[in-house]
Amino acid sequence: MNRLTIAWRNVARNRRRSLITGGLVAFGFVSFTLAGGFMAQSFDGLRHNAIRSGLGHIQFADPRAFERSEETTLEFGIHQAGAALKTMQADPAVDVVMPRLEFFGLVTAGGTSIPFAGTGVDPEAEMRGSDIPKTVKDGAWLKSGTRTVVIGRGLAKLLNAKLGDNLTLLATTPDGTLNATDVTIGGIAEIFIKELSERYLALPLPLAQDLLTAPDTVSRISVILKESASETAVAARLHDRLNAAGIRLDRRLWSDLAVFYQQVRVLYIGIFGFMGTVLVIIVFLSTFNTTLMSVTERTREIGTLRALGARSRRIATGFVLEGALLGMASAIGGTLLSLVITLILNLSEIHMPPPPGMAKGIVIHVQVIPTVYLLATLSMIVTLAIASYFPARRAARAPIVESLAHV
Amino acid sequence: MNATPLLSGRGLRKHYPMGSEPVQALRGVDIDIFAGDLLALRGPSGSGKTTLINLLGLLDRPDSGTLLLDGRNTATLSEDERADTRRDRFGFIFQTFNLIPVLTAAENIGYPMLLNHVTRAEMMERARELLAAVGLAEKENTRPDLLSGGQRQRVAIARALANRPAVIFADEPTANLDSHTADAILDLLQRLNREQQVAVVISTHDPRVVERCTRVLTLHDGEIVTEPTA
Repeated sequence: MNRLTIAWRNVARNRRRSLITGGLVAFGFVSFTLAGGFMAQSFDGLRHNAIRSGLGHIQFADPRAFERSEETTLEFGIHQAGAALKTMQADPAVDVVMPRLEFFGLVTAGGTSIPFAGTGVDPEAEMRGSDIPKTVKDGAWLKSGTRTVVIGRGLAKLLNAKLGDNLTLLATTPDGTLNATDVTIGGIAEIFIKELSERYLALPLPLAQDLLTAPDTVSRISVILKESASETAVAARLHDRLNAAGIRLDRRLWSDLAVFYQQVRVLYIGIFGFMGTVLVIIVFLSTFNTTLMSVTERTREIGTLRALGARSRRIATGFVLEGALLGMASAIGGTLLSLVITLILNLSEIHMPPPPGMAKGIVIHVQVIPTVYLLATLSMIVTLAIASYFPARRAARAPIVESLAHV
Repeated sequence: MNATPLLSGRGLRKHYPMGSEPVQALRGVDIDIFAGDLLALRGPSGSGKTTLINLLGLLDRPDSGTLLLDGRNTATLSEDERADTRRDRFGFIFQTFNLIPVLTAAENIGYPMLLNHVTRAEMMERARELLAAVGLAEKENTRPDLLSGGQRQRVAIARALANRPAVIFADEPTANLDSHTADAILDLLQRLNREQQVAVVISTHDPRVVERCTRVLTLHDGEIVTEPTA
């Protein structure tokens, strides 16, 4: 016999009440862990989207490009792009290097001219390192050495153009002169942000460099790393190697650039925190009520224990121990239940509505995050212990003779 | 009778609020408890027997008066010190037995020792010894709800003896028992008082209990009216 076994026997003493309280705690636990697992899936999805939308794991550009927008074409361009690409590709941790040349221009089809936001890309690198080629729903993605372009469906609509139509692109070169080139629509991309869809135009990098008369120049370079590579370490290493080659570029990690991801993350964490707080309050109040009933029923027993020489603190901590044990048992039950529900949900392939910033719905896949399970377990144990403490302390401090006379 | 009392109360007063008129439960009681006493506190209901036992057993505090334990004024003791004193010096037997339902007979007896940080082995050995002394050796692992009233009270007596107290306070210990069982319990208390020299203070209005005691105090309306010697 020790305090733990006495506490456990008291928990088991009124099985129905303990089961109801434990069930409620387990329900809270399951809600918390499932929400955490779903949130983690959403974060992973958003992270993947951000990286594969062209940001890459690491991005290199002229230091000024990270601070402000260009006022003239390629004002902050990288002029030794070939050498920079070669240096990056040589690193064993690098999977794909995606150069990008960003500019604005005017596209004309028939009698209609519309401003566009152009991006010159390496078509093959984009295929490997980004999800942008997957947005092409009509036609095909770009091919090197061709004069085909991919435009947003919104822009095609504004131009009243279709696959195979010829377009004329007009853009300002870095020295301020105008240049034009003829291209053919090879693909139409489905972009779900209307404003972007009405301006989107992608073309092979050499074609863009020709149009802007800017050979070996790009705006920025995105780097996709191999699975296990450390973003921070590789970014620093590449930076050093570029410096050593005389190429002065600054770098940013995807998390620094993905403002939307960070905003959604903060929002989700806020929602999760709010939900967790509500659950803890519900668990607290119901446990408080249960402990109050238990303490009231055991008033005479408390008086007896005190008469036998138990100090008030010992009696109060006995109830706290009971609460903590019930919390722990409920957390164990909740863990098992949560794992079973997670398995069922993941096998059921339920489609969820698209999360913020995503065009398509996702198949639910709840992750098992040990930290969330640990946090939920600690929350439940602490909540039950605190909820048990206050009624127990009050009862343990009541006059002994009143407790002994309690009916 | 020893010259130095274990417990010495002087001018003990206690009142309870009840409606607009406070009830005077004790009106200046003087009392001494000596080692080896077998003392009956008798009197009708409401005479103040239980109140006096509560004060003597440090379960309650008097409104006024002094209570000395081994010559030390108990008024200066903190709540924790009072709890420790109850644990180390006193044993309690209640009318309704008051055993802890989740503990076995042996564990109920062991509980006061658990408070005293006695090792498990020592605790169980002493509990078995006491169970044997009260004739319940075979009930070591039985929970209170499976014991008869008499057996529960025997366990309660054994529990009261657990920490080798100087005084056992028994508040109407036979009130809930049939006469045969009550006699057996009184035999046991008498024997323990004699053999272990533990003072026993029994509140009762049962004449059979009074007959067995070596000292009798009669309380009436909160005052001691006689102290005949048995």
